Amino acid sequence: MSWQRVCAVDDVDEEELHEFEIGDITILVANAGGEFFAYPPFCPHQETPLSLGMIDGDTLTCIKHLWQWNMKTGDMRENAESPLLLYEVKVEDGAVLVNLEKELRYDYQ
Amino acid sequence: MKISVRTRGESFEFDCAAGEKILHAGLRAGIGLPYECGSGTCGTCKAEVGKGEIDEGWLDAPGRAYVKSEKSEFLMCQATALGDCTIGVRANVARLAGDIPVPEAMTGRITKVEGLTHDVCRVAITIDGPVSFNAGQFMLVGTAAVEGRRAYSMADYRTSTDRLAFVIKQVPEGGFTDWLFAEDRTGAELSLFGPLGVATYAPSLPNDLVCIAGGSGLAPMLSILDHAIEAGHFEAYEGDLFFGVRTERDIYLLDHLKAYAGRDPERLRVTVVLSDAAPTAELVAAHPGLRFDEGFVHEAAMRRMTGRWDGVMAYLAGPPPMVDATLRALVMEARLTPSAIRYDKFS
Repeated sequence: MSWQRVCAVDDVDEEELHEFEIGDITILVANAGGEFFAYPPFCPHQETPLSLGMIDGDTLTCIKHLWQWNMKTGDMRENAESPLLLYEVKVEDGAVLVNLEKELRYDYQ
Repeated sequence: MKISVRTRGESFEFDCAAGEKILHAGLRAGIGLPYECGSGTCGTCKAEVGKGEIDEGWLDAPGRAYVKSEKSEFLMCQATALGDCTIGVRANVARLAGDIPVPEAMTGRITKVEGLTHDVCRVAITIDGPVSFNAGQFMLVGTAAVEGRRAYSMADYRTSTDRLAFVIKQVPEGGFTDWLFAEDRTGAELSLFGPLGVATYAPSLPNDLVCIAGGSGLAPMLSILDHAIEAGHFEAYEGDLFFGVRTERDIYLLDHLKAYAGRDPERLRVTVVLSDAAPTAELVAAHPGLRFDEGFVHEAAMRRMTGRWDGVMAYLAGPPPMVDATLRALVMEARLTPSAIRYDKFS
């Protein structure tokens, strides 16, 4: 296991998405109602930055083609043709930690 | 030349003429290859070449930002085949079916260029044979004088017609529009490919229609509303057109908009939205059938549609920042599901 501190919980406001660089790896952290999630920075469809996406409840929507996922599980909702990859996340002492054992990548990358 | 294409599901084969874009050859054969802009910008038609050789075409195409040369990727809308090829497409692809017209290449001649504002004109074209398109679709249009083709939406609706109309805005350093606006181009020959695009209207839609347009993005809305009116859509449903421009001098086709609004102002409402200056009292007084608003067009749409989003089909077209801001508002504020939003992503 390789848990790494990615940011403080205060670095990402509720309903916001923010990219962080950990070494060579870019991680997208989302705050959905106080719960934190981490993803590769792109939409699974094309290289559209998911940081431009929209959070509504537990639904994440990509701005480009409105693909939607359950942001807690990565499961596809309306429009999506591929699921979202998620990193394991835990919160400790006000920090968001991500399991970076292996970088998650989509097949087009 | 034979192109064999592997997709996520089926495999297909089609013929491609020398010099013909691979995307065009596939679409012409009725295969629903992925694309959006068709003109080198969006990157959606990315594919990878397996066996065979291609010419990648326009190397500075903005959509090439999505292309990884080390994976032998290329844009199908720009590339031509140099012999038989095997290519791969990472998408679900099906044959064009139902009411989607199969696009084709055609030649046209400009019959009329009419200035609408200081930088927008309406161009009428007669093509060499009849074409059918769905309201809201576009064509790729080019001239031998300028490399590449640009995408323009049909600005009216006719079935099986040899006459097409486009609304074209002069863009800075736009090769095609520089050529078009340089002198009277009446009689000039154009090459066209289409119809393309999925942001379409069909009379069977059981929805109120909301059309949100910025600048020359009004063109497909004219086609959609013309068809909807002809089909009697507004006898059963309501419609709202929001047309956003910067200032009063950027408004065009006011008489056409007034004709929409004059039909039944309670069922088909037309709102002109100015972003850079408030509408003057004179403007408002001179056009009693139209509604005027101030700000960004998506903001005006949100204000005026409050409580009326149920059962809506929303169409949007315009400059990319306007489209993104409107998408955001439709999802987050209007809370429409993606299937209730139709647009062609050009960037």
